[in-house]
Amino acid sequence: MTSLNTAPDLTGRNLSKRRAFANRTATLLIGLCVLIAALPLLLVAWEVVTRGGSALSLAFFTEEIPRNYRTEGPGMGPAILGTLAITGMAALIAIPIGVLGAVYLNEYGKNKPLARFIRTMADVMTGVPSIVMGLFIYVAYVVVIGEKVGFGGSLALACLMLPIVIRSAEEMLRLVPDELRQASAGLGARKWRTTMSVVLPSASSGITSGALLAVARAAGETAPIIVTVGLTYIYKPDLFYGENTTLAAQIYRNATQPFAASQERAWGAALTLIAIVFLFTIVSRVIAARFAIDKR
Amino acid sequence: MKLNRRAIIGGITAGTLAFGLAACGGGGDEEGGSGDLASGEINASGASFPDAFYAAAIEAYAEVNPDLMVSYNATGSGTGKSEFGEGLNDFAGTDSLVKDDDGVEAGSFQYIPTVAAPITVSYNLPGVDALQLPQDVLAGIFGGTVTTWNDPTIAAANPDATLPDTAITLAVRSDGSGTTTNFSKFLEAASPDVWTLGSGDTIEWPGNAVAGEKNTGVAQIIQDTEGAIGYVDLADATESGLVTASIENADGAFIAPTLEGATAALDGAQVEADLSYNPLNAAGAEAYPITAPTYILIRTEYDDPNVAAGVKEFVNYLLTDGQDLAAENNFAALPTGLRDQAVEALNSTIAD
Repeated sequence: MTSLNTAPDLTGRNLSKRRAFANRTATLLIGLCVLIAALPLLLVAWEVVTRGGSALSLAFFTEEIPRNYRTEGPGMGPAILGTLAITGMAALIAIPIGVLGAVYLNEYGKNKPLARFIRTMADVMTGVPSIVMGLFIYVAYVVVIGEKVGFGGSLALACLMLPIVIRSAEEMLRLVPDELRQASAGLGARKWRTTMSVVLPSASSGITSGALLAVARAAGETAPIIVTVGLTYIYKPDLFYGENTTLAAQIYRNATQPFAASQERAWGAALTLIAIVFLFTIVSRVIAARFAIDKR
Repeated sequence: MKLNRRAIIGGITAGTLAFGLAACGGGGDEEGGSGDLASGEINASGASFPDAFYAAAIEAYAEVNPDLMVSYNATGSGTGKSEFGEGLNDFAGTDSLVKDDDGVEAGSFQYIPTVAAPITVSYNLPGVDALQLPQDVLAGIFGGTVTTWNDPTIAAANPDATLPDTAITLAVRSDGSGTTTNFSKFLEAASPDVWTLGSGDTIEWPGNAVAGEKNTGVAQIIQDTEGAIGYVDLADATESGLVTASIENADGAFIAPTLEGATAALDGAQVEADLSYNPLNAAGAEAYPITAPTYILIRTEYDDPNVAAGVKEFVNYLLTDGQDLAAENNFAALPTGLRDQAVEALNSTIAD
C-alpha cells in the first residue's frame, strides 16, 4: 500500500467550503473570546503600571510611611514588611494544616462520615466573606488579648486560606493514579511511606499552585486586616507586639483620601502588591518544578 | 505581664528611634530633652471625618517629640467607640456622643472637643454658581419632594438664577457615616415639618439618590453627574473643586460654607458640662448652620502611666499648637473659650 507512506493531510486545505468556513469562524470566535477574557487583565495591569510606576523608587520600598496624607513623597516600607510577615505567617499556619487535612480526606477518610463532614464544612468556609473571618478573629483573639497585633491578621488570613488549600490539595491527590499507590504497596512500603514518598511528590506541583492561589488571595485582603491589625507608620517586624499594617490596608487608607499625594502612594502600593504576588508565583513554580517527579 | 512587655518594647522602639534620629540629623538637643517628654506608642482609632486634620497634626507632632509615636486609624466613629470600650485603643475619635449601646461604660471617658468643620451642600449645575437654599427647600430636595431644578420653591429663593429643568440626583453616602448623622440631624432640627426621614448614620433615601463610598465617593458622583446635589465635608469639597450652596441659618441669613462661618457657629453653640455641644443650626447671624463637631474620648483611668502621659501630651498639642494646622486642612479651630475648657478638662482627667 503506497498510501501508508504519505501522512494523512490534516491541514484542512481539502475540506469542503462549508466546513472550512465553519472551522475558520469557530477559530476566530475562540480567539476573540481569549482576547476579551485577557482584556480586563491587560487594562488593569496597564493602568496600575502607568499610574503606580512614577511613585516607585528605592526610597518607596525602604522609607517609613508618611503620617500625613498630604505629604508628598515615598514610603511604604513598613507595609511591604507587614504584608510579607503577616501573609508568610498565615501561609506557615494554613498550608501544613491544609495539606495534612487533604491527605486525611483522600488517603484515610475517603467517604467516612467525618471526612464528608469536613469536606462540606470546607466548601462552606470557602464562601464565607473575609470580613466575617476578620470579625471572628477580632472576637476570639484580639479582644481576648486586648491588643491589635500582626499575628491576629495572620490568624484571620490563615482561616481564609485553609479551606482553599484543603480542597485544592485534595483534588490534586485524587488525580494521583491508584496504580502508583498499589505499586508502592506491592514493593512493601507502608501507607504513610507511600503517601510521603509517592503520592505527595507526584501531586506537589498541583498542591503548590493551589496553595499559591490561597496566598495570593490572602495577600490582597483588606477588610480582615483593618479589623485585626490596626495601623502603624514605622517598621514592626515583631508580629506579637504592637499594631501593624499591610499594603492592601494602605491602598484602602490612601486611595480613599482626596489628596493627590496619598493617591499616588496608593497606586504605588498597588503595583508593589501585584509585583510581590507575581514574583512569589514564579519562585514557587520553580521550586515545585524542582521537586516534582518526572512525568514521563 | 502585658504592661511590662509594652513598656519594655516601647522603650526599645523609642531608643531605636532616638538613636536613628541622632545618627541622621546629628542634632544634640533630642538626647537632653527626652527626659520630660513622654515616649512610647499611642494607638488611636475612630471617626474618619477629622482624619485629615489628625494626620497632619500627628506628622507635625512627630517633629516636636519623635520619641512618642501616635497612630490614628480612621475606622469610623462606631468602631472607634466599641474599641474604646474593649480597651483596644488609647483614645478614640468620634463625631457622635456616646450612647448606651456603644459599649463604652458611663464615667470611663471624657469628651475633648478638637475641631469642627462645615458640611457643604455641593451641586453640579453648569451656569448656576451662587445657589441659595432655604432650610425647608433643602429638606424638600433631600426628602424627594422637590425633584427638578426649576421647582418654584428653588426659583423663589434664587430670582437671579436661570434654572434648567434638569432632574435632581441626590448624591449620598453608601456607608454608615457621622457626616450623614449630622446632616440628617440638621434637617430634622431645622425643618421638622418637611423632613420625615429621621436621622442616623444611614437614611432610607428617596429613589433619585445615588450612593457613593465616603466623602470622596460622593464628591465623585457630584462631579460626574449634571444635576447632582450632595453633602460633602469642606475638605473634600475644596479638594475636588465642587460648587457649594449657601444655606439659610437660624437667623434667616444665607451663609456660604467657610471656616469663619463654622467658628461663628461654635461661638453660638451651647456647651454642656461634659464639654459636648451642638453647633447644628446654631444662633448667630454669621453662623454656618450645618457645622459638625468632633471629639476625642480619653479614659478617666489608664493602666499604664506612660500611655496616660503620652495621651495627655498629644491631646494637649492638638488643643494648643495643633489648632494652627486646622485652617490649612479645612477644619475650623475651636474658639478660645472652648479650647481653654478642653485643656482644663484634660488636665483634671489625667493628673500628672
